[in-house]
Amino acid sequence: MNQQPIVQFQHTTKKIGRKIIVDDLNFDVLAGEVFGFLGPNGAGKTTTIRMMVGLIKISRGDILIKGHSIAREFEKAIRYVGGIVENPDLYKYLTGYQNLKHYARMVSGISKKRINEIVEHVGLKESIHDKVSSYSLGMRQRLGIAQALLHHPPLLILDEPTNGLDPAGIRELRNNLKELAHQEGVAVFVSSHLLSEMQLMCDKIAVLQKGKLVSIENVHEFIAKDSISRVYLEVEASQTELTKMLVADLNKTAVAGNGPSELWIQMNKEEVPELNKLLLDNGIRVLSIHVQERTLEDKFLEMMEEEQ
Amino acid sequence: MIGLISNEMMKIVNRKLTWIILFLLIAITAGSFVMNKLNEEPVSDWRAEQMELMERYQGQLEIDELSPQMYADTENKLQIANYRLQNDIAPVSGNPWSILLRFSGLIEMVIIFAIVIAADVVSREYTSGTIKLLLIRPHSRSKILFSKYISVSLFALGMLALLVITGYCVNAIFYGFGNLSTTDLFLNSEGKVTEMNVFLQTVKMYGLSFLPILSYVTLSFTISTILRNSALAVGISLFIMIVGNSIIEATSYLPGLKYLPFANSDISLYIFHLPARPEMTLGFSLSVLVMYILVLAGLSWQVFKKRDTA
Ligand SMILES: Nc1ncnc2c1ncn2[C@@H]1O[C@H](COP(=O)(O)OP(=O)(O)OP(=O)(O)O)[C@@H](O)[C@H]1O
Ligand SMILES: [Mg+2]
Repeated sequence: MNQQPIVQFQHTTKKIGRKIIVDDLNFDVLAGEVFGFLGPNGAGKTTTIRMMVGLIKISRGDILIKGHSIAREFEKAIRYVGGIVENPDLYKYLTGYQNLKHYARMVSGISKKRINEIVEHVGLKESIHDKVSSYSLGMRQRLGIAQALLHHPPLLILDEPTNGLDPAGIRELRNNLKELAHQEGVAVFVSSHLLSEMQLMCDKIAVLQKGKLVSIENVHEFIAKDSISRVYLEVEASQTELTKMLVADLNKTAVAGNGPSELWIQMNKEEVPELNKLLLDNGIRVLSIHVQERTLEDKFLEMMEEEQ
Repeated sequence: MIGLISNEMMKIVNRKLTWIILFLLIAITAGSFVMNKLNEEPVSDWRAEQMELMERYQGQLEIDELSPQMYADTENKLQIANYRLQNDIAPVSGNPWSILLRFSGLIEMVIIFAIVIAADVVSREYTSGTIKLLLIRPHSRSKILFSKYISVSLFALGMLALLVITGYCVNAIFYGFGNLSTTDLFLNSEGKVTEMNVFLQTVKMYGLSFLPILSYVTLSFTISTILRNSALAVGISLFIMIVGNSIIEATSYLPGLKYLPFANSDISLYIFHLPARPEMTLGFSLSVLVMYILVLAGLSWQVFKKRDTA
């Protein structure tokens, strides 16, 4: 898989009036990766996406797409981009097919065959000749994705694409985006609030808060890094007090859980074997050890709290 | 560019409003000419009729307090009636072209409809949010705006053609196809009575009227591009049009008003030799209109090109 940068943020900043909405972004989005763009409401995700596609001017810095500045070489740079910005706003008084024809006319070399292919791909074959005003939100989202993929762009930008999709649709989209990135080498840039979804979908996660990039990591590292997991322990009920004392030797606190024989401890996953050995050596009958891994959501919320 | 224009045409044609407007255009045009036919009184002796008219015109000039425009109009008519009797030239009757020529007011209807269509073509993209997906294509904003402007202009031209075609067909049913070489009496630019080809005068009037239509299209288009609100664009444009019509009269007292578009936007004034001021010519009016079109179009272009698209 080639890992050349498709998008390069270079000190990208957006100021509206006196307010700095996006503050000095510096990172790359590589070919073949699904790049998750996380952040609470009002963090500046949509503003960043608007700058990426040239809808609003960049106040300072630049964004390069395949080496072309979106500000100075708009027509060259935008050729590589397909996307949805905010909502899939399409022409409601036209049919789905007319919408696609409309966008197909705006780039050269899109055949009727390609339109039909993409319609089939997003599963809108049945309703493509109906007016978009009769579509559900999920169907509009699908049509939005169809217009974004029409011209085989090497960069796909989606602002909250799972919005309005049903669970099957979300799963389909996830597999679809992964396939595009991993098989065809497309750089997929997704913003979303659905953290659990991002965890399953993305290879890399960037977190934006109040316009600033606060973290950018591979998704597994992002969740695991200096992560304190919750370890659930079940021992013979008569041995819980002894267990607590032993755990205290490790400078940790064991807290009583739900049942009389249950305890839980905040600790690193790496320390679990050590704990296990200590308990066994001291004759504790361990019935079960269970590590509850943290989700991206836990991590994300934690991170936001830290920033406060 | 052709692709962009066909896109815009597709968007205009697929709207219900467009079809309502086209229906109204045909219905009002046909209706006016049918009414005209029904109210027509048969003329048995044209000489007696012209004598009668002359007397009436003379009476009006002496007694009534006429506005300068009306005064000039009555004077012109008197002059032509006089010429008819002296040279024994009967007025043209039963020619569809000469009837079309008298109904120049219908052009105002095309202007109103064109204002409505032009007001929507940009602002609708903003209100429906479709502007975002429209602008993230490999075309400059200038090209996209220009294709919209071309499309509404073509649509306005189509409406003007539809007006002429409908009017001609309805009249042709009543009076036959009409002779293309028929001539009638007109006042030339020096104010002298001259025989001119009726068909060519009609073509001249409707053809040149495209420029005033285009200037209102441009006005409405520009307002809607800047304000992103089609209702306001229609409202302001219509208001300006109505106020403008009353300014035509005032232009005869205030020479500076001749540089405003209004006194220049009624081509029929030149066909019937009624310039708002004696020094105004057809060429002057057309140049003033072109100036306004260029300035307004340039303004909407600059705003559209530079603006952040939220
Ligand atoms: N035109 C504008 N003028 C002033 N402030 C603006 C403008 N557009 C956006 N903002 C501000 O910029 C901030 C970021 O907005 P943005 O829409 O980028 O957030 P977001 O991360 O996409 O949020 P959400 O998750 O709710 O979609 C918000 O605080 C918003 O109020
Ligand atoms: Mg947003």
